[in-house]
Amino acid sequence: MTPSRLQARILSNREKKKGVFLMELKAPGIARSARPGQFIMVRPPHGSDPLLPRPFSIHDARDGSVSILYRVVGRGTEQLSGLGKGQALAVTGPLGRGFPIRAGNYRPALVAGGMGLAPMPFLAKKLAALGRIPKILYGCRTKGELLGPSTLGAVIATDDGSCGRRGLVTGLLEEELCRAGSCRVFACGPWAMLRQVSLLCQKSQVPCQVSLEARMACGLGACQGCAVRGVHGGYLSVCSDGPVFDSRLIDWEQEPPL
Amino acid sequence: MRSNPPGRVDTAVILAGIRLKNPVMAASGTFGYGTEYRGLSPASAYGAIITKTVTLEPRPGNPPPRLCETPSGMLNSIGLANVGVDRFLREKLPALRNAGTVVIANIAGRTIGEYARLAGIMDRAPGVSALELNVSCPNVAHGGVAFGVNPLTASRLTRAVRRAFRKTLIVKLTPNVADMAPVARAVAAAGADALSLINTLYGMSIDTARRCPSLGNVTGGLSGPAIRPVALYHVYRVSRAVRIPVIGLGGIMTADDAVQFLLAGASAIQVGTANFIDPATPEKIVKGLVAYCRRHGLKSLRELTGWLAG
Repeated sequence: MTPSRLQARILSNREKKKGVFLMELKAPGIARSARPGQFIMVRPPHGSDPLLPRPFSIHDARDGSVSILYRVVGRGTEQLSGLGKGQALAVTGPLGRGFPIRAGNYRPALVAGGMGLAPMPFLAKKLAALGRIPKILYGCRTKGELLGPSTLGAVIATDDGSCGRRGLVTGLLEEELCRAGSCRVFACGPWAMLRQVSLLCQKSQVPCQVSLEARMACGLGACQGCAVRGVHGGYLSVCSDGPVFDSRLIDWEQEPPL
Repeated sequence: MRSNPPGRVDTAVILAGIRLKNPVMAASGTFGYGTEYRGLSPASAYGAIITKTVTLEPRPGNPPPRLCETPSGMLNSIGLANVGVDRFLREKLPALRNAGTVVIANIAGRTIGEYARLAGIMDRAPGVSALELNVSCPNVAHGGVAFGVNPLTASRLTRAVRRAFRKTLIVKLTPNVADMAPVARAVAAAGADALSLINTLYGMSIDTARRCPSLGNVTGGLSGPAIRPVALYHVYRVSRAVRIPVIGLGGIMTADDAVQFLLAGASAIQVGTANFIDPATPEKIVKGLVAYCRRHGLKSLRELTGWLAG
């Protein structure tokens, strides 16, 4: 599926939690062809500074619209957060390799840390449509940072124990991996979390797909800017070889590429 | 000679023996091998595509992070990551030569001998109309910019490649010197048919939260609108120092930017970083150039080149 580029109108742009926004964009072509784990490039609207478009994973796609969940971390996301309904943004997508999902007799476990929750609602919806109701394991630092977990029916872990289990989301995954029946893991979150998830899955011989982040320029595999070192030596492009990878392909000993 | 119908603007330029349907070229490293933008930007919108730098052996490139955004610009330290000339010829060139535009291969080597060998291979490659020598990459330890800062070295390299390559030879120069004119003159005298300038400027950024360089390679090359005035200055200076055509690049985003480079002395221009921001940039620039000519009563884009006196 080739990506398209359009001026997408903002349908809504709401602050869900302090500094975290959910933006819905009208983009029927992208909504129709998008697969979970894919991303879109969104260009902040104000001239040449900041200059580059930003990659965001697709939070959900439905009825001709796609949404992104983003935290304000710099000038680009700051500008996005100030936009309102009716304004238009240059959007390119869908891009990259998404989560490979197919029918079969397995238990999907979705592991999300912090903003790593972003691609999970779309993935959960598509898995459910295949008859595979996923278990969602979701960790963040504290209750105040939880992003709409009730709607997803997630099992929660917080670092400070203010909601759900006290500890890391990887602790929840260890228990999940002990349960009988074949499991498949789909994970998104900070590098350290993904490294641990990958390790646990390899120990249990459970297939594991991870969604990675990197700074990007083109988003298409042309500039080679978003490199991550692969386990066989050499580099993979997060934008076009990923952003979703079989966790065994990644060299987890490297510095996080972001 | 065929005359133009009234109102028609001739966008074609002849660049050192190659006819380009328009003077807008894709800058090396920003348009991949010409197929990555499929569906977003037809390669045929460009007057020519310059490939990502190709080396004799495949190269993995530099450790990440390789990109860092800066005010109206970006730093990169890709490090010439590429598939190597064998895979380029086998897997990339066939699609590229059918993309509906002129193909220019950009090459780099570690030694003069490597450059000459690559040039010989490209001389026989079907569909490659010209070579652009990268003697200006700021991100590799051997070769790259080392060949482009010294007039004598640049001249020896150009002469060696000239012997191995019969078609149009372009040399891409670095601005990271006190004066670009001596290198430009030396390269022209050694047989270059045209010059591309400027490659990226040395730059750096530091992540203060982690107290470490923002790029894995510590330093990188700066591109984007931030460098445009610097690039325009060098195009103006160098195009007056040599008799061969100059191709201008550095932060060109719009038709107005392109007109500035042509007026300053460029015979053609390249679009680089703007490809990342809007893949439709080449089409927009060509349309804008035509509109500019109409507004100013010009029949051909060629009339713009070097308009500025002195």
